[in-house]
Amino acid sequence: MTTAQPSSQTACAAAPSVAEVEASCRLPVLFLAFSGAAWLCAGAVLALLASVQLYQPAFMEGCAWVTYGRLRPAAVNALTYGFALQTAFALALWLIARLGRVELVAPLGLTIAAKFWNIAVTVGVFGILAGDATGFDLLEFPLYAALPLFASYACIAAWALVTLHRRTERELYVSLWFVLAALLWFPWILSTAQGLLLGWQVPGVVQAIVAGWFGNNLLQIVLTSFTLAVLFYFVPKAVKRPLANPGLVSAGFWLLLLIGGWCGLSQLAAVPAWIPSVSGAANVLVIVPVLALLVSLWQTADGKIAESWKSNATFRFLLVAAILLLGVTLCTAVFGGHYTQFTFFATARTDIVLLGVFGLAALGALHYIVPRLTTGEDELPSEGLSDLAFWAALFGVLAVGIGFSLAGFKQAAVGASAESKFLEGAVTGVASNLKLVTVGYGAMAVAALAFLVNFGLAARRCCLDCCGGAR
Amino acid sequence: MRYGPIIGAGALFSLACSWAALVMAPQLQLGALAPAPIPNTSDVHPALRPGLAAQGAEVYRSLGCYQCHTRQVRQDALLFGARLNDVGSNANTINLELPGSGKTNLVNLDLLIALAKARPDLGIAKVTVPPPLLADTNVVAALGQFTANLTLLKHADDKLDVVRPTSGPTVNDVVGNRPAEIFVKVAPETAESVVKLLTDSGAKAELVICNLGPDIERGWGARRSVARDFVNDTPVLLGSLRVGPDLASIGMRAPEKFAAPWKFAGTNTAAEVEHHLLVHLYNPRLLAPASTCPSAAYLFDKQKPEVRFAGEPLALPGKDAPVFPKHNARALVAYLLTQRTDVGLLEAPTPAVAKAAAPAKP
Ligand code: HEC
Repeated sequence: MTTAQPSSQTACAAAPSVAEVEASCRLPVLFLAFSGAAWLCAGAVLALLASVQLYQPAFMEGCAWVTYGRLRPAAVNALTYGFALQTAFALALWLIARLGRVELVAPLGLTIAAKFWNIAVTVGVFGILAGDATGFDLLEFPLYAALPLFASYACIAAWALVTLHRRTERELYVSLWFVLAALLWFPWILSTAQGLLLGWQVPGVVQAIVAGWFGNNLLQIVLTSFTLAVLFYFVPKAVKRPLANPGLVSAGFWLLLLIGGWCGLSQLAAVPAWIPSVSGAANVLVIVPVLALLVSLWQTADGKIAESWKSNATFRFLLVAAILLLGVTLCTAVFGGHYTQFTFFATARTDIVLLGVFGLAALGALHYIVPRLTTGEDELPSEGLSDLAFWAALFGVLAVGIGFSLAGFKQAAVGASAESKFLEGAVTGVASNLKLVTVGYGAMAVAALAFLVNFGLAARRCCLDCCGGAR
Repeated sequence: MRYGPIIGAGALFSLACSWAALVMAPQLQLGALAPAPIPNTSDVHPALRPGLAAQGAEVYRSLGCYQCHTRQVRQDALLFGARLNDVGSNANTINLELPGSGKTNLVNLDLLIALAKARPDLGIAKVTVPPPLLADTNVVAALGQFTANLTLLKHADDKLDVVRPTSGPTVNDVVGNRPAEIFVKVAPETAESVVKLLTDSGAKAELVICNLGPDIERGWGARRSVARDFVNDTPVLLGSLRVGPDLASIGMRAPEKFAAPWKFAGTNTAAEVEHHLLVHLYNPRLLAPASTCPSAAYLFDKQKPEVRFAGEPLALPGKDAPVFPKHNARALVAYLLTQRTDVGLLEAPTPAVAKAAAPAKP
């Protein structure tokens, strides 16, 4: 990239039209979005099956492949890598192309890399089911899946960054800050974690610390950044107002990056005490940037929230995602310490960030992007299915989050006193909450299916339009 | 903002900070941690796992047991206790056995007084001496001193409104039944002053530590887990969720401390624990009907396998026919049996086990 940057005049002249930009996005973004949603459905079903075993241990008993200890990590990793990160790439590519007014570099190469990503995720999920999980939360894919995963990511990110470099709109909008940070952040944490855990194998509990650090950065920085990128792009667009208070936004952005990476290790026990203390403090401090960012979004949308909720299918997803982001940050700060250690409370946080904060924001964004890239209309073909996707996803996230949190609090109460009976209190006592979780995952799968069908309808209509004569 | 590289550099800088603090620093602090020698032995803790147990660690990882079980015992507070180990001797120690009988039964009269001062809740009894001993002037002098001290003690008691029980255990009993816990779970100053009182009377007493917290009280371990416990593990499966009980110390767990308590039937306790764990693996619901621990029945053969060494069949409770544990089942149990936190470390001491002799309530 030694070519001189085009001056802004020539840039304007050379800027591709929106149609050209979208045409370049079509193949890779639609592929990533479709596979992402398919993995959401698959991951939710796996998580559902696993959750049943928590109160019906005889369910699918007798086969090592589907025992809880394998099914659950398979589900979480499918949701993380198959759904969340993959969809995040779709959103990132689209945001870069749209906001940078530039055609994607190598759309075909991106699609092939995305294909490999999917193959790697599939191999990884089967690897976990076969018993090759590494044993580190959110990083369970065995090396033979993790390496191809990293390689395909490197291709996707490299092409995304080249595209960003070639942008004709030189000014970087906030959304692109978040995208850029996340795109750079992810390979560093992934390579550090894989290198130290699977390659060099640091000794002892440092492994657990590194794995916790990776998991937190993935949720708190990478996925949250992609979420915020989406929020900052679509909220002003939906309410048709410029972003309010840019100063607050940039303060929030930098503080989030500075503080966010320190959270998430507050519940380790067998480590030097300073680690959980520092992390616990960061859990509280991170409220500041999250609030700053959400306040500026709120100022942008203030007064038009009710109206946009009704008129805009995307906006309602985003509103709920923003509320959940606030909720999960506050809950983690308040309850995420010693009391809820070793309970489902932490599971609730992971699932809310994956499916709720990121998941809802991503589904919302896709409800805007997919119709534009397929039919060229503003909305997906079936309004009913859009509604279904929204309400099912909302219900699913709430059921999973509330079910796990309540179970977590019950477990915490049992853990806090040696008098309470473990079996009654913490095992049979949480069954009702876990049933709610099962229902929640089911609803999540339904939401994904509804979106996929809608997607299919749009794709079919698009094909009919193009090759309509043939039919 | 027009310059991508600035944002990129800023992001990488933030990441580098968190990386330095939470990846580099722990590695520098813990990277060189090595097993600690166990005092008075040639062993170290944690010991390298024998081959079978090391294979069991792989089974534990592969079946995802860490998804539901942690291996980290927590501890809230560290309190102290005072323990009497030996009566010791000084000028006021007398032997209650006759000279020439070859036996000794030392009574440290100063210790009785000291202990009575430390424990107002215990009575104190007269010391009766076999008549032939009264010929010994040393004994007579010591007894005289003792009677005088008793009177002083009585005065002191009256001043403090202490009423000693006339029945029940006496300091004489406590001293006769060593090692004895004089205090448990008290602040370090209290324990230290009692230990000083006892050692000043010539006795051998020591400060002991009492680990506290629900995990410890549940019998899940003798002390908290610390980084050193895991220096030999790879991968380190700490676990982060307790759907089931903590397993950091399952190899040492007393039968009544299991989630579903049970009892030893005979004296070969090691074999019974192993048998219990194998049955648990085969079907946890045979031992605890409400258990949600998944059955690992696939680690067992129903029929006697056609290999040369099939091992002993596993008798099951109830009417079920015996099954044959596969190699992996035995390995997993061997691994579970190596899980222990009973070895004290400098950073996490364990209370040495002692006979409990009517300890005072804090
Ligand atoms: C679905 C979560 C789950 C998984 C996975 C799981 N367990 Fe359990 N485990 C439990 C529960 C709940 C209990 C408490 C009930 C009981 O004692 O059976 C338990 C109890 C135990 C106990 C008895 C501990 C005690 O103090 O009573 C042992 C030993 C044990 N599990 C070993 C294992 C092993 C080995 C594995 C891996 C093959 C495993 N568990 C996987 C949930 C789980």
